[in-house]
This record gives sequence, structure tokens and C-alpha cells, in this order.
Amino acid sequence: MLTQDEFVAARKKDWAELEQLLGSGGGFRRLPAASIARAAALFRSVSSDLMRAQAAGYSPDVIALLDGLAAQAHNTMYSAPPYRIRAVWELIAGDFPRTLRRYGRFFALAIALFVLPGVVGFVGAMKSRAFALNILPKESVEQMEKAYAEGFDKGRETGVNTAMAGFYVYNNVGIAFRCFATGVLFGLGSLFFLVYNGLAIGTVAGLVTAAGHGKNLLTFTCTHGAFELTAIVISATAGMVMGYALVDTGGRTRFGSLRARARDIAYLVMGAALMLLVAAGIEGFWSPSGLPAKVKWGAAIGAYLLVICYLTFAGRSGAGKAREEARP
Amino acid sequence: MALDNTAEVETPEHVRFRYRVAGPVRRMLAYLIDFLIRAGVLLVLGMIVAIALGGSEAVSGVILVCAFILEWGYYVFFETISDGRSPGKRALSLRVVKEGGYPIGFIDSVLRNLLRGADFLPVGYLVGLFAMGADSRFRRLGDRVAGTMVVVEERSRVAPPLTLAPPPTPAELDVFPQRPPLSAWERETLELYLRRADLTAARREELAQTIAPALAQRMGISFKDPVRFLALLHHRIAATAQPRGT
Repeated sequence: MLTQDEFVAARKKDWAELEQLLGSGGGFRRLPAASIARAAALFRSVSSDLMRAQAAGYSPDVIALLDGLAAQAHNTMYSAPPYRIRAVWELIAGDFPRTLRRYGRFFALAIALFVLPGVVGFVGAMKSRAFALNILPKESVEQMEKAYAEGFDKGRETGVNTAMAGFYVYNNVGIAFRCFATGVLFGLGSLFFLVYNGLAIGTVAGLVTAAGHGKNLLTFTCTHGAFELTAIVISATAGMVMGYALVDTGGRTRFGSLRARARDIAYLVMGAALMLLVAAGIEGFWSPSGLPAKVKWGAAIGAYLLVICYLTFAGRSGAGKAREEARP
Repeated sequence: MALDNTAEVETPEHVRFRYRVAGPVRRMLAYLIDFLIRAGVLLVLGMIVAIALGGSEAVSGVILVCAFILEWGYYVFFETISDGRSPGKRALSLRVVKEGGYPIGFIDSVLRNLLRGADFLPVGYLVGLFAMGADSRFRRLGDRVAGTMVVVEERSRVAPPLTLAPPPTPAELDVFPQRPPLSAWERETLELYLRRADLTAARREELAQTIAPALAQRMGISFKDPVRFLALLHHRIAATAQPRGT
């Protein structure tokens, strides 16, 4: 058997060559075909060098060098499938609505957990202001009562609209993402945020209605609500799917079970995020405009129909569905 | 399982190699760098927007959109285009890989970074820190959901062979058995000890004194200078390669 020094001296040249071929880790795309074949051969020889070094008990520095080389070569040879812009379209056109329909029960439960507290909040706040004060801080109660007193008959400045749209993107999409992420705590975070947001939104609506400005609030929120409320419920659905995967593992480890559904979960969240971006655009520019209430109501009905039809019918046929059915 | 910070990966073609898994401190430093980059970019963008749009009300909206993109999109963008390395990770030689040693894809990156929303709770990534502490591969919740881990990628060099001064005489080496009875871990310890350059002579001797008598007794030989004894022993082992674990 070779001593370590003889081994290193004999193999050093190949190691240096592989290291040079791997370069800065930018992948093999820029290399000529002959070099790729050479790198593959070198990867195999480095792998056997590594096993040999481990078996012979060579010193840690040699093993660390070979470990690093083998890992980097492996990482480069099996590079991830390149990301395609087409995937965004596939997500919108089929992957997202199809996945949501497969988790229809979770979605239905999420809707119930959002709407029922909303009704409770609305009725409670209509009946007594003290109820609202128990749920929301005093400042926001007063602010809400004031904010919708005037309505939007005259519209708003474009600058303010842009500012508000930015705020909605930052705040509402952030809320939706957190609503999803906390689902990893066995779904509890998502449930909490769902119920809390439902209650708070219902309370605000009840409060403003009780103050006699209900029409202002509803004509403001009706259109973007179709996208925004649905998307928040969908991200909570994704969180609940995540939490449930931790509980009902189907014989896998907890996180193994979660990983088996990782792709579905990602589709749901990314779809919800896109819907929230649409919502923010509407909320910033359309909702505060001075258009007559009838136009806004018409648009709202259209928006709800659009969302419902999209989630129900999109992606029912086509290549994506065939691909999904072929999946084991 | 060895109690160290490595993760062994076995590929479908039965190649086995080990990654060095990155610990919390190194990852925090990478996070700090990324955080400063994001803050800097936001500051510069904010100033450009403020100048371009003048005193318009829209400034805050555009800045908030930028902040949103930087907060949720920064990591996904860099981890996807630069194969698992954000600038901060690159600076600290870190890389996100799949648990099987494969490069991460877009979906993996989306999941592990959205889950920051849970890892961050209640404040300052406390949940994530506990999750890392409870895992042999230092994975935070996002890593576990996406099936990824963060590894250290440092080029190591083969250290030059240890030399003995003055060179060993055959008489000195002959007292040792042909194959000194040391376990693989003992040999590693010996090598690490001899490669330490930062020890004072007194400390070097003190450390040698803790292990040399036991080894000498095992082989039934005596020595005068413990440091010299260990160096000779190592020399003897290096000259005769052995299968591991004997």
C-alpha cells in the first residue's frame, strides 16, 4: 500500500486538473465537450481516491481536500434544471388553480375560518362600540371611523395612490407570507392569523357601518377584496396543508411528509402572491377613484366571477394536467 | 455517528463524500452582510427615487415596493441565479445545497426563504436558532421544509509533509513496532497536534506529556523527550500506510 506522501504525489496532478476545470463553480456550460468528458472521468477517479484515502486512514487535510473536490464536482455535474420564464405562465395557467382544487377541503375550511369570525366581528361591532374596542386598539378604531367618513367621490391624487399601492404590497403581501410561514408550527400560526384577520376585518366593517359610512367602505373594498381576501385565505390554506403534513405523515418522517408536498405548497403560495400583486394594483389605483358606486359594484361582481371561474376552471385540460397525472 | 459538523452524502453511483455543515455563527455573519447590502441598496434606490420624483407623494410607495422586493426576493434571486449563494454566503464560502448534495432549484429557494417568516419569530430568528440547535445538520425550519442545508465550501490544500529536525536516525525508529497500534482517531489527534504551529515550547511539551506516556506504555518502549517521541511515532506511521480502524 502506498504511503500518504507517495499517494499525494501520484494523484496531485489529476486533482489540480479537476479543480481547474471546475473553476469558479459556474457550471460546465462554457466548457468544450472534451473538457466535460474529462471532468466526468476525473470526478470518478477523485471519488475512488477519496474512498482509498479514507480506507487507508490518510491525514485529515487530504481527506478534506478530496471531500471538497468530490462535492464540488458532484454539485456541478448534477446542476439544477435551469429556471424558465415559461414556468411562471404554467403556474398561472394551470399549476396553481389545479393544486388549489386538489386541496379543496383545506380551502373550504380556511374560508369558513375566515368568514365566520368576520361575521361575528361585523355583528358585534354593529351592536356595540365596546366590542370593537376589545378587538382593535383605540387609535385604529378612531382612525377607521374617520378614514371612511368622507368617501372617495372626488378620487385621490395619483401620488397618494402610488404611495398607498406600495404600502399595500409591502404590508398585505407580507401578512399573507407570514400567515403561510407560521403554518409550519403545526398549522397553528395560519389558523391564528386567519381567524384574527377575519375578526379584525369584520369588526372594521361593522364599526364603519355603525357610524353610517358603510357604503363608503364597501364601495372602496369590494373590487380588490375579490383578489386580496381570496389570496390571504389561499396562503393560509398553504400553511394549513403544511401543518397537516406534519401531523398526518403517511408513514414518513414529519419533515419528509412535508417535503413530499413541498411543490404543491410552493404553487399555492406563489399563486396567492401573484393575486395579491393584482389586488394591490386595484387597491392603489381603482378603488379610491371617484367613479360612481354603480361602476365599482359592477367591477366587483366581475372580479368575483373572474376569480371564481379562474380557480374553478383554469388548467382543467392541457399539457400540464397530463404531466401531473403521469406523475406517480 | 461522529459528533462533528459534517454531513455524509451518498450519491446514486455510490460515491460518498462529506460536507462541512455551516453553524449558526457563520450563517449569522453571512446574514449580516446580506442585510447590510440590502440596506445599502434600499438607501441608494430611495435617494434616486426621491430625486427623480421630487417631492411627490408617490416616493414612499415606490420605496416600499423596493423594500418588499428586497425583503422577500433578494435571497430567492441570488440563490437561484448563483447556485445557492447569496453575496453574504459567497463572502463566507457558504452554499445552500439539497440534502442529497444537489444544487437547489427555484422552488426550494422560494420555500426556504418564505419560511423565514416562521424562523424569524418571535424576534431575531429565535425559532430558527432553536431549530438549528435541535438538528445535526443545523437546518432551520425553512431548510427542513425545502430539504436543503447550508454547507461550508472551502478549498483545502494538502499540507506539506511534516519534517523532523534533526532527521530521525534508524536507531530511533527501530524501537517502534512495525505497525504502531494506534486507532484512526489517535492518529488524527497526533497529526493535528504536530501541525499546531502556535504553541510555545513549554505548552507543546506539556501537551505531549499528557499522551506520550500512555502510548509508550502500550508499545512497551521508553522515551526521553515526549515531543520528539510523538514526532517519531508519527513519522513511523506516515511511512507505513495502514487500513483504518486497526
